[in-house]
Amino acid sequence: MNAVTASDILKAIEKANAVNDVNALEVDKLLSDQGVDSLDFSGVLFNLEEAFNIEIPDEDIDGLATINDLVQYVNNKK
Amino acid sequence: MCWECLFYNGENVSMIGISEISCYIPEKKESNYDLLEKFDTDEYFIKEKIGVEFRSRKESTEKASDLCIYAFEALKKIHDLDIEKIGCCVVVTQNPDYNIPHVSAIVHGKLELPEHCASFDISLGCSGYVYALSIVKAFMEANNIEKGLLFTSDPYSEILDSEDKNTAMIFGDAATVTLLETDANLQAIAFDFGSKGSGYKGLINEKKLYMNGRAVFNFTASKVPISIENLLTKVSLEKKDIKKWYFHQGSKYIVDTIKKRLELNTEDVIFDMYQYGNTISSSIPILLSQDLNDFKSGDKIVLSGFGVGLSWASAILEKN
Repeated sequence: MNAVTASDILKAIEKANAVNDVNALEVDKLLSDQGVDSLDFSGVLFNLEEAFNIEIPDEDIDGLATINDLVQYVNNKK
Repeated sequence: MCWECLFYNGENVSMIGISEISCYIPEKKESNYDLLEKFDTDEYFIKEKIGVEFRSRKESTEKASDLCIYAFEALKKIHDLDIEKIGCCVVVTQNPDYNIPHVSAIVHGKLELPEHCASFDISLGCSGYVYALSIVKAFMEANNIEKGLLFTSDPYSEILDSEDKNTAMIFGDAATVTLLETDANLQAIAFDFGSKGSGYKGLINEKKLYMNGRAVFNFTASKVPISIENLLTKVSLEKKDIKKWYFHQGSKYIVDTIKKRLELNTEDVIFDMYQYGNTISSSIPILLSQDLNDFKSGDKIVLSGFGVGLSWASAILEKN
């Protein structure tokens, strides 16, 4: 199976309607500082769980703050 | 198929439908704009994400039964009602006046309903109104009861943790009463129910209300669209056949998510909780009461409630 990329994460963010322009997001910057609030983030995680058929437990969330974090995390979970 | 009557135990039984809905929303309000600094949030989040600007608040001395009485008083103003003909009084609540007795008994007493009137409570949260429509309809039809009162009253202000952002900005107090009668022309034609008891800790009141917002969101986003699809399949309808959609008003974000996942038109999905908040089992009847007189013969609408349990219930209603 292909590795998950930042582009896959951006699709999940776009699907969650989290920001106006996903292409403006920086991969190594905190999502919370780029307009992704707690509700949006729940939507992003839900979309990732659904897209990659994985489960993201609440206790893992603290370490998922950037797009790069999510790329690495989802690749490890797959 | 004839929706007006059915054959039950060898007798023709008139079907029960909704003839009127009245509401009580306390005038006293608390503003979420006063909480911006406390919870480090902004106006956009309040309006566009949670969709609650103000939360309605009962007086601290008032109980669930009091709110029911106020809703009933509103009903009496618009509907000439002979209480001697009321055959059942049902209250949906999880915040009763007391653990014992049931709130419906207190309401029965306060309204001086007749002794032949059955009274019982239904312990459900945000799915409660839709569940109760099915339960009370079946109870009335099975027992030849011509008129019944279905109340919703779940004053969450009694159990909220004012320091918890997940819940403190969401919930409002309210009550509704639905008059169910034989031959009323808004009839339920299909229901779909479900439970995910393994997730019960997602919304729980031990000492104070606790909500795992992500767990409730995940459950809703995954289960409700499936429930709706199941419901439509049961009666061979498509989404385009539905005039309006009344989802439990959990938050704007969750209603928007369901709308998007079902690919519904924004103008067909009712959303209005800005001025009073998430009123639990009252949220759907509050919205429905505003449109009740606007439906035309043949119109079909969908109701869907979801939350505590975790639990969900959906229904299609048709105007005859």
